[in-house]
Amino acid sequence: MITKSSQHLWTYRALFLGLCLLIITAKILPITLDQGRLPSPDILLAVTLAWLLRQPSAVPVLSIVIVFLLADFLLQRPPGLWTLLVLLASEGLRRKRAQMTEFPFLVEWGLFAVAVFALILMNRIALFVLFAETDRLGIALAHGIVTVGIYPVVVALSKYGLGLRKLRPTETESKPT
Amino acid sequence: MARERSDQSLARPVRRLMVGVLVLCLILLVLLWRIDNARVERIRAAILDRFVPNMEWAMAPVTSAGRMIDDFQSYARLYEQNDQLRRELQQMRAWREAAIQLEQENARLLDLNRVQLDPELTFITGIVLADSGSPFRRSVLLNVGERDGILDGWATMDGLGVVGRISGVGARTSRVLLLTDSNSRVPVTVQPSGQQAILMGDNTLAPVMEFLETPEDISAGDRIVTSGDGGLFPPGLLIGQVAITPDRRVRARLSADLSRLNFLRVMRSYQSNEVTDPGSLIGPPWPPEPSLSVPDDTVETGELEE
Repeated sequence: MITKSSQHLWTYRALFLGLCLLIITAKILPITLDQGRLPSPDILLAVTLAWLLRQPSAVPVLSIVIVFLLADFLLQRPPGLWTLLVLLASEGLRRKRAQMTEFPFLVEWGLFAVAVFALILMNRIALFVLFAETDRLGIALAHGIVTVGIYPVVVALSKYGLGLRKLRPTETESKPT
Repeated sequence: MARERSDQSLARPVRRLMVGVLVLCLILLVLLWRIDNARVERIRAAILDRFVPNMEWAMAPVTSAGRMIDDFQSYARLYEQNDQLRRELQQMRAWREAAIQLEQENARLLDLNRVQLDPELTFITGIVLADSGSPFRRSVLLNVGERDGILDGWATMDGLGVVGRISGVGARTSRVLLLTDSNSRVPVTVQPSGQQAILMGDNTLAPVMEFLETPEDISAGDRIVTSGDGGLFPPGLLIGQVAITPDRRVRARLSADLSRLNFLRVMRSYQSNEVTDPGSLIGPPWPPEPSLSVPDDTVETGELEE
C-alpha cells in the first residue's frame, strides 16, 4: 500500500514539474507578439494552486520554488518576489485546507480567487515598497479575473485528463501507515 | 493513493524550518535584485542562455505549425484576394482605356500643331463630293480644283492622317487617289526605328509596307509617317500604325478613317529645289568657284533636318 501510494505520489510530482515546464515553454515561445485585448491568464498559478488544493502532497514546496523561480527568471519578472508570494499563499492554502472538514468545489474556487487577488495585491504593494515599476492596476485586475475564470478548466483537465482525484481533507490527515 | 506524509512528529518542524529558510532566501533574492540590479540581470541572462537554446526542438514544430497556419489562412483568403485582384484589373483596364484615348488625342493634337506651325504647310479644305465606286480604283472627288490652286500630287489628309494624294485636277473638282488604291505608292518612315519603306496600296483597307530593310526591328503599333523622299509629300505627316498580319507581312493601319471621309485637307506643298547636279552631292566639298553648290547644300541639310 505504501509503495503503491508513494509511487503514485512521485508520478504526480514529476507530472507537475513537467506540466509547469511545458507551460513556461509555451509562454516564451514566439507565437504571438501582440497581446489580445484580454490579458492572458496565469495558467501556471492556476495549475499549481489547483493541484495544491486537490492533492497537496503532489505539489511540494520545493517544486513550487523551483518552478516559479524559473518562471520569474525566464519571464522577466522581478526574481523571487512572485515565488515568495506564491510560496506563502500555498502554505496558507495548505493550512486552510487541512483545517476544513467539508470541501466543495465552490469553496475551493473561492479560496483560489481570494488567493489570486491577495497575491496580486501583495505583489503590487511589494513593488510599490521597493520603488519598482508596476503595470497598470486595471491590467493586473483583469489578469486576476481571467486567471480565476480559467480555474474550472484547469481543474477539469487535471481531473479528466490526468486523473487527479480530489482528496478529502480527512483523507489527507489520516495516516496510511 | 497519494497521501500527505508530512505530519510525522519530526517532519513537521523540519518542514516549517525549510519553508522559513526558503522564504528568507527569496526575500534576500528580491532585495538583491532591487539593490544590485545589474548583477541579477546578468544571472537572469545566464539562465536564459542555458534554457532557451535547449528549446529549439520545441520551437521547430511550433514555427512550422505557425507557418502552416499562415499558409492555410492565405489559402482561405484566396477567394477574397482573387476578387480584389479582379476589381483592380477592372480599374486598370479603365485606366488603360483612358491612357490610349489620351495618347491618340495627344497624337492628333501634336499633328494638328505641327501642321499649323509649319509655315510651308497651309491647307485647303474641301468636301468630299463622291466616292468613286470601282473595285479597282480607290479614290474620292473633292469640290476644290484648279480654281482653288490645287496641283497634282498634293497630299490630302483628314483631321488625323494622310488619306491619299491628288491625282487629277479639274476646274472645280479634283480626284484624290487614296492610299489603299493599288496604284498608290508613298515613301514612309517607321517612327522609332527610322526605317524607310514604301507604302503600297493593294485595294485592301490596310496597305502593305514593302522594301523594309529589317522587318524584325518593327513591331506592331509603331508610328508610320511620310518620309518626304522624292519630294512628293511633305515629311512627317502621320499615316498610321504598323500592323503585322498572321502571315508576317507588315501592313499599315491607317489613322485616317477612310470609310467616313467628309472634309479633307489638301496640303499645299511646293516642289522643293531639285537636285540637278549629282556631282555636287557626292564627294568632298568643292572649292568656292562653282555657284551651283550653294543651293544644293541648303537642300540637303533641309531634308536632313526634317
